[in-house]
Amino acid sequence: MIEVSTDWYLTLAAVLFSIGFIGMMIRKNALIMFMCIELMLNSVNLTFITASKHFGTIEGQISVFFVLVVAAAEVVVGLAIIVSIFKKQSSASVDLLRTSRG
Amino acid sequence: MLEIFLFAVPAGLVILGALIVIFAKNPVHNSMGLVLTLSSLAIIYITLNATFVAMVQMLVYAGAVMTLFLFVIMMIGVDKPEQSKEEIKGQTLLVSGTLLILIGIISYVIISSGFKWDLYFSPVEYSLEGTPDLIASTLFTEWILPFEIISILLIVATTAAIALAYDTKTRKHK
Amino acid sequence: MENLIFVVIFLPLLTAIGIQIISKLVNELLLNFLTINSALLSFTTASGMFTFLLMNKFEPIHLEFFTWIPNPEILFEFTLDGLSGIMMILVTGLSVVIQIFSTSYMSKDENYSRYFVYFNVFVFSMLLLVMSGNFLVMFFGWELVGLSSYLLISFWSKKQSAAKAGNKAFILNRIGDFGFLVGLMLTLNTFGTFNYEKVFSAVLSENHDSLSIIVICFIIGAFGKSAQFPLFSWLPDAMEGPTPASALIHAATMVTAGVFMLVRISPMLQFSEIGKLIIISTGLLTALIAAFSAINQDDIKKVLAYSTISQLGFMFIAIGSGAYVAAIFHLVTHAFFKALLFLGAGAVIHEMHHEQNIHKMGNLKTKMPITAAMMGIGTLAISGIPPLAGFWSKDEILASTFSNGGIYYGYWALSLLAAFMTAFYMGRHWLLIFHKETGNDISSVHEAPKAMIRPLIILGIFSVFIGFINTPFFHGLEKVLEETLQYVDITHLPEGITLIVLALVSIGAGFSGLLLAYLIYIVDIFSYFKIKIPFKEEIKELSSNTLYLNKLGEIIFVKSMKSFSRKTAVIIDGLMIDGVVNNISSLFYNSSQKISRSQTGLVRSYVVYFGLFMLLLIGLFIATPWMLN
Repeated sequence: MIEVSTDWYLTLAAVLFSIGFIGMMIRKNALIMFMCIELMLNSVNLTFITASKHFGTIEGQISVFFVLVVAAAEVVVGLAIIVSIFKKQSSASVDLLRTSRG
Repeated sequence: MLEIFLFAVPAGLVILGALIVIFAKNPVHNSMGLVLTLSSLAIIYITLNATFVAMVQMLVYAGAVMTLFLFVIMMIGVDKPEQSKEEIKGQTLLVSGTLLILIGIISYVIISSGFKWDLYFSPVEYSLEGTPDLIASTLFTEWILPFEIISILLIVATTAAIALAYDTKTRKHK
Repeated sequence: MENLIFVVIFLPLLTAIGIQIISKLVNELLLNFLTINSALLSFTTASGMFTFLLMNKFEPIHLEFFTWIPNPEILFEFTLDGLSGIMMILVTGLSVVIQIFSTSYMSKDENYSRYFVYFNVFVFSMLLLVMSGNFLVMFFGWELVGLSSYLLISFWSKKQSAAKAGNKAFILNRIGDFGFLVGLMLTLNTFGTFNYEKVFSAVLSENHDSLSIIVICFIIGAFGKSAQFPLFSWLPDAMEGPTPASALIHAATMVTAGVFMLVRISPMLQFSEIGKLIIISTGLLTALIAAFSAINQDDIKKVLAYSTISQLGFMFIAIGSGAYVAAIFHLVTHAFFKALLFLGAGAVIHEMHHEQNIHKMGNLKTKMPITAAMMGIGTLAISGIPPLAGFWSKDEILASTFSNGGIYYGYWALSLLAAFMTAFYMGRHWLLIFHKETGNDISSVHEAPKAMIRPLIILGIFSVFIGFINTPFFHGLEKVLEETLQYVDITHLPEGITLIVLALVSIGAGFSGLLLAYLIYIVDIFSYFKIKIPFKEEIKELSSNTLYLNKLGEIIFVKSMKSFSRKTAVIIDGLMIDGVVNNISSLFYNSSQKISRSQTGLVRSYVVYFGLFMLLLIGLFIATPWMLN
């Protein structure tokens, strides 16, 4: 009998994180990069909740709330930045932004 | 058997949605993939006894955040396809190198552990239900200070978003 | 009574500060009134105190001002005995006379008030030096007179030569001061105190091995300050300063500080035969070189400067032969007649509109008779013609040297030669300025103003009569110094017929020197008899260039030092220190240039770097599990 154990969930979180990270590397659209960040944050959330079940403590789930709020704040600010960039160059491609070049 | 089913199907949907996010060409499709991922994750949270978090996940992520995403996508337009040609020198090489290392590390870990996953701590016997009651009683007692700080962060972020998106030029003309 | 010492010493300082504060508000007349009255008050107080000393048989007066350093206990203290009393009278008295002269000489100068500030600071420093109660206070004054001398030499600092002369004087004095400073350290180390009386009683009670070294260090200090060989070349250059300042500082008082100091430490000095030998040899060498150099100088002040060096050499001869009273006696008489000569020269320069070349003067006695007469008195006095001041003191030195016997006969003979040369060049000096018919246009020259003439007359009177304070018939000065030198072995004058013969010989040397000068420069005896002197031009060159000692010093010290420092600058500073610094900075510059290229500004490449290094870190953790524990 195969049992759904903690490591299954952790593997799922790792796969989700890896996909999000690959997306960060290969996509140029700033919006989609933000979605990839959401993917990675969610994989972390999954890890927290898995740990919460594994150790039988509630703190893991509480951490999820904090991550959630930070993610929301980040989305709000990030999308505002994307909008203002778009107003300037009418494209959301991050490759056109090179003002911080050394 | 039901347990495995309840894990495998949402997990598959999570991965499918994630793949749609990173590979779809149309931004609307990407966001729909993200919605799929987030909703499936909510199911997985329920199987992990985190029912309240699953609810919040559905409301905040799949609801509010995704609405914001879609709103922005619609606002800046979806008709411009992304350039598929790689413009950054050496980026392809570096990305493939990073992927290779990632795969290498994962395979090394899997092979060296002999396909057996041993966690350092064994799981607890009892099961913990993440009810609003329990979460609230912890969050508003022990974690009250971080909670307040995070509320300040949200306000600051909101103000920042207004400041960024506020178009002073057009305002002045009126 | 002893609190009056404060008045004497600090009045000049207060005057200097006061002048500095009010200089913008008052005109020259008010300033003259202030400074001369303050000098007069200082002099009057000093005279009163000297009278008090005289009545108390020169019992030393001590005054402790405050504790300077608690451990080892060093007080800021003053001593007033016969020696410092004489110097005090001398300094304050000459200060009055020369300040009166200065008011006329320096009038209409743009830095009129600054001159008197410096002058009063100098008087303060000199009084601090002579009335000091221990070595450290003396050193304090010693450095301050060096400073004020520097300030007055380069008073007209817009002139390049004046600024350079000030530097030279200061630097050469530093060499001497270095010796003094080492002497101070050794003194403190050996005796544990700086107080004169404690040190001297320690010297008298037991034998100290390092005494000779200490004495030699002090001698080096005295050589620097009193312009003895080889540290004398600053004094002729110091003539760039205002003439009245030269009269006070570089003729009468400051340069004699070395002599004063050696007399002060005479209880130590008497036990060091080698020290005495060094002093007398150097003094003699200096007297001869300076006298020889003075013969062919063209500058009216430089003749006097070399003459000062030569006379200081005489004082050192006196100290070296143990005749401390004679040294102080010559110091006093020399102060008067040399101040007279300098002020006379200043009057001449003033009337000649700052022309200093004596060949452009001549026959000035018709135009400035009083100045000529006073300068004549000074010339006769320095030449050792009786009964003027110089005769008594110089004869006492020569006779004391003679009476030591042995090798000192040689010193006596050479000193006599120096005395003869003194008479010769001083005769030439006076004759060329005041007597010789040169045909130069002197129609615009007048007698100097009264403010200049009166100080000349005062000093002239003193130059005639000051010699009588210490004659073989009346040992006045010896009584004054008796208390100070009570434990010191003093060489006394020979008795009877020897003394008379020696006096006659030195009078003969003086007269023959003057006569020779008259014959050569006025009668022009060489062309009259068609005598050709071999190497005449070479000797003249040698004389006017001070035996090329300056050039030699320049080659040895300046040139080698310059090339050494240039090499140091290039190799050590340029290549090594700067090289290291520059290379490090260029290393950072270049590497940051290269590294900043990796800052592409592209978000995605940052993501890749970030991921790559995170994976490497994870790989590192996996590869080295022991690092986690």
